[in-house]
Amino acid sequence: MKTITKSEKQTLNLGKNFVLDLKGGEVIGLIGELGAGKTVFIKGLAQGLNIKNIITSPTFVLMKVYKAKGLIKHFCHVDAYRLKSARDLIDIGIKDYLNKKDAVTVIEWADQVKNILPKDKILVKIRFGKKENQRIFEIIK
Amino acid sequence: MLILGIETSCDETAAAVLEYKPLKKEVQFKIISNVISSQISIHRQYGGIIPEVAARAHIENILPVIKKSLKNIDLKRIDLIAVTQGPGLITSLLVGLETAKTLSYAFQKPLMGINHLQGHLAANFIEHEPKNIFPAISLIVSGGHTELGLIRKSGQYKKIGQTRDDAAGECFDKIAKLLNIGYPGGPAVSKMAKKINNKSNNICFPRPMLKTNDFDFSFSGLKTAVLYFVKENKNKLKKNKFIQNICAESQQAIIDVLIYKTIKASKKYKVKTVFLSGGVAANQELREQLKLNVCKLPNNVKFFVPSRNFCTDNAVMIAAAAALKFKNLTPIQKRKLKNNWQKIKVNPNLET
Repeated sequence: MKTITKSEKQTLNLGKNFVLDLKGGEVIGLIGELGAGKTVFIKGLAQGLNIKNIITSPTFVLMKVYKAKGLIKHFCHVDAYRLKSARDLIDIGIKDYLNKKDAVTVIEWADQVKNILPKDKILVKIRFGKKENQRIFEIIK
Repeated sequence: MLILGIETSCDETAAAVLEYKPLKKEVQFKIISNVISSQISIHRQYGGIIPEVAARAHIENILPVIKKSLKNIDLKRIDLIAVTQGPGLITSLLVGLETAKTLSYAFQKPLMGINHLQGHLAANFIEHEPKNIFPAISLIVSGGHTELGLIRKSGQYKKIGQTRDDAAGECFDKIAKLLNIGYPGGPAVSKMAKKINNKSNNICFPRPMLKTNDFDFSFSGLKTAVLYFVKENKNKLKKNKFIQNICAESQQAIIDVLIYKTIKASKKYKVKTVFLSGGVAANQELREQLKLNVCKLPNNVKFFVPSRNFCTDNAVMIAAAAALKFKNLTPIQKRKLKNNWQKIKVNPNLET
């Protein structure tokens, strides 16, 4: 499925609406360059899950876990930007969240850690459009 | 009293012994030892911090580093062990905390968990004990954090602003990566920026969030602006001058926003002091420009920034934070520190 967003706000809303289809236990892998809008999309996901915390980049800490209310109780935000292999992610304890029914895990730079992603993952590929604020989202389930 | 500090929250394994003399008037701290096993040479080949590598290096480094810090002092003479509890990378934090707990139990020493950010702030008190400083504003800027805090009096810290996306140090790192000029990004960008003699160039990057009515920051958009600019001017990327201009302008954009919000907060809360700390506080331009702006404030507002070796992660600052915290404890609370080894847990998302 392809969606084109024309502004940061539209990307945020795309993330927000994306949550409506989630039941818990999903793993979402994001693929896109620096500045593609991964963080904005994730801020939208968090808003959709009613998380009040400010979602900051986990590039340095690598993994941040937020509490959500409702059926989905944990929102696990991972950044694989600095990683070379999936083994590195296992070492920081990501498996605690990957198989949990009440957790949604989103992984930025998912192409860096392909081996750890489950078969039923959702991939979101983001490319730059022709115009400055245009982004092309390709969602592969 | 003698405090052993241990810090392993990110890429540095560090241990230090600090002597605290609460009754002396001038300098209250004496550094007995300060050991940092810098892992930058390991990380550089990957262009970033690799947790598995960092965690493994912490395990390899921690005992030799602590042993070296205790070279001239018997562990039995230590009065308090202080260790970083968070925020940070969980695997890295665990190495320091579990080691500290083991030492606390084996040698029956009181143990204190310290917030890494409070450590950065405490670095301002290592070399001098400033008097009559509150209320004060604290700006902490590093690779993982950008935070403004208000301190109404000793031990009362309140966060009033933070980054909404990337930290300032991360912005430096990512711009350095876009320009392919090396890691860590902060020193790489400022080195390039320094080569420019004539500051007036045609490049202009945004200063995000200057007009918002809060003390928050945002650096993600600046990174994207640099990305667009680099894409549009691919043919110029081989010119050193072009890279230097981008570095100078992006560094100035980061500094402008940091200064603007800090000064705005200082005016609002009518502070007596401004503290700058964290790894990015090692940036010479930021130190000088913020100092100049603080000096322009009315009522002789004081400005403090630690020596550069105490800006980047170290264990002296963790021990200093423990001393300042210890000072405010009741005798009962002090006695309870002995059992802390059973209770303290790492908290990767620890808030100030």
